[in-house]
Amino acid sequence: MYEHLISSYIVGFIVLNVLLGLMAYMTWFERKVLARLQDRLGPTRTGPFGLLQPLADGVKLLSKEDIIPANADRLIFLVAPVVSFVLAPLGAAVIPFGNTITLFGYKVNLFVTDINVAALYILALGSMGVYGIILGGYASGNRYSLLGALRSAAQVVSYEVVLGLSLIGVFILSGSLSLVDIVNEQSRTLSFGALQVPNWYILSQPLAFGLFLVAAVAETNRSPFDLPEAETELIGGFHTEYSGFRFSFFFLAEYINMIVVSLLASTLFLGGIDGPIAAGVWWLVVKALIFLFFYVWLRATLPRFRYDQLMGLAWKVLLPLVFLNIALTGLIRLFGIGAL
Amino acid sequence: MSAQVLVFDILSVIAVLAALGVVLARNPVHSAVSLAFTFVNLAAIYVILRAEFLAVVQIIVYTGAILVLVLFVIMLVHQEDLPEFHGGQPLQRVFGFLVGLVLLGEVAAAILTRTAVGQVGPWSPQQVAAAGGNVQALGEVLYSGYVLPIQATAVVLLVATIGALVLARPDVVTVPIGMARQVLTISLGHPRGDGEEETFEVPMLPAGTTTKAEAGDRELVMAKTGDEFTDKPAWGEHRTR
Repeated sequence: MYEHLISSYIVGFIVLNVLLGLMAYMTWFERKVLARLQDRLGPTRTGPFGLLQPLADGVKLLSKEDIIPANADRLIFLVAPVVSFVLAPLGAAVIPFGNTITLFGYKVNLFVTDINVAALYILALGSMGVYGIILGGYASGNRYSLLGALRSAAQVVSYEVVLGLSLIGVFILSGSLSLVDIVNEQSRTLSFGALQVPNWYILSQPLAFGLFLVAAVAETNRSPFDLPEAETELIGGFHTEYSGFRFSFFFLAEYINMIVVSLLASTLFLGGIDGPIAAGVWWLVVKALIFLFFYVWLRATLPRFRYDQLMGLAWKVLLPLVFLNIALTGLIRLFGIGAL
Repeated sequence: MSAQVLVFDILSVIAVLAALGVVLARNPVHSAVSLAFTFVNLAAIYVILRAEFLAVVQIIVYTGAILVLVLFVIMLVHQEDLPEFHGGQPLQRVFGFLVGLVLLGEVAAAILTRTAVGQVGPWSPQQVAAAGGNVQALGEVLYSGYVLPIQATAVVLLVATIGALVLARPDVVTVPIGMARQVLTISLGHPRGDGEEETFEVPMLPAGTTTKAEAGDRELVMAKTGDEFTDKPAWGEHRTR
């Protein structure tokens, strides 16, 4: 009975460590890619190709003075970044990194857990993620921080609606909320005459895919939706007063969120571990890397949205489109077009 | 003691402590954060009871939306304007304590005598599993037998949203309604009017009233330099009356 739990713990441990390592090297990836897109080189000195840069950053942030403002609400000031950082990797607990394999005679699931409300669980984590931002901004005792925090919270809450609703099309087509089931559904092959395509939901739900991407970029507070933490506008938003490693908690939580969202997008729309020759975790990694590159590409290319434009986009443009998508998907499922 | 009972004990102790924190905290933001903590523990207890959909919905709706709204309001309101948290006359405090004791006694009596037991519903765990899980079972029941209540709930929520909009920005609703009325009203008169309509006069104050400015609320300072204005401010904490 307990071997199930033990395999969950071991897989979870491995996933968490890989995620943390990937998060550190995501900073390197972003700096290099951003630099190349801006026609410069990025970190090249610390180690070959600047590969030890994350280590240097970590040492620097750890050795900085820890300043707590006098006006700060001390308990919440200390707790807020931890809340952000702890909630970030929890989303990776439901992402399937493979099917069930047999290792040394034991059945090992290559995912931490398979709950039948997995996609809702991820949305729930997104809802809880707002707390790190609000509490961080409030506890700093600084008007700009509070303003940045409230703006950011309003943005996250609005785009959460779009994010959740854009996934309903996927749920209608797959009939299940569990990510393992969704991945299995996507590995079916549909045939249109002589053309054989896998049942990836990016093909059957292109609108939902676009909406999900936009909403995900806004949820993770990344460019071009990063007004709440924009240095030029609000000094730093909700993480103004945080220094040293506390600041890095927020910063790294954002990167982990990016990685988890990329994994999620690959799982829900691109088939996850599904691939042409051999299905496995390497395909998931390739797809997640595509999304991560897309994130950095957006940052390098697009100017920032003004706050009212941001909110207007969510409520006036994306929300009607998302409802249109749900209606269309429902109609298609009702009348049963083809193998869908 | 099975693992389930142990986990339930830990979760409920933490939930009760967090609930105590809601009531006893000095700072309203601490109160709200404790409430969030309580909700999360309750969601975990729902998972133990195999109501995982209810658990995630509890987190999404209660913790992630309602409590965030509460936090917004608490943060935007000055501390002085909030109602008294730990004040009140001694009589009120004693009365409150007594009422609390009575309620606690009732709950304890219900639990200890085990007379407050709910009826077992029509769905057994096997039926739920046969339907494909919690979500599918809920979907079957809600959207077949309870379609009308769901639509009514949606309309109620819509009314609440529109009501909030009307209260916050009445012009957003009344101006288009006014314009629509003008457009849609069939008028049989001349567009410029029949000449019989009353002209609108600006209401003037009765003669002889002195406004505050004339009565000398502050002396009219035609400041030539910034320092002069700073010495005699019209508003603010340095204003001497």
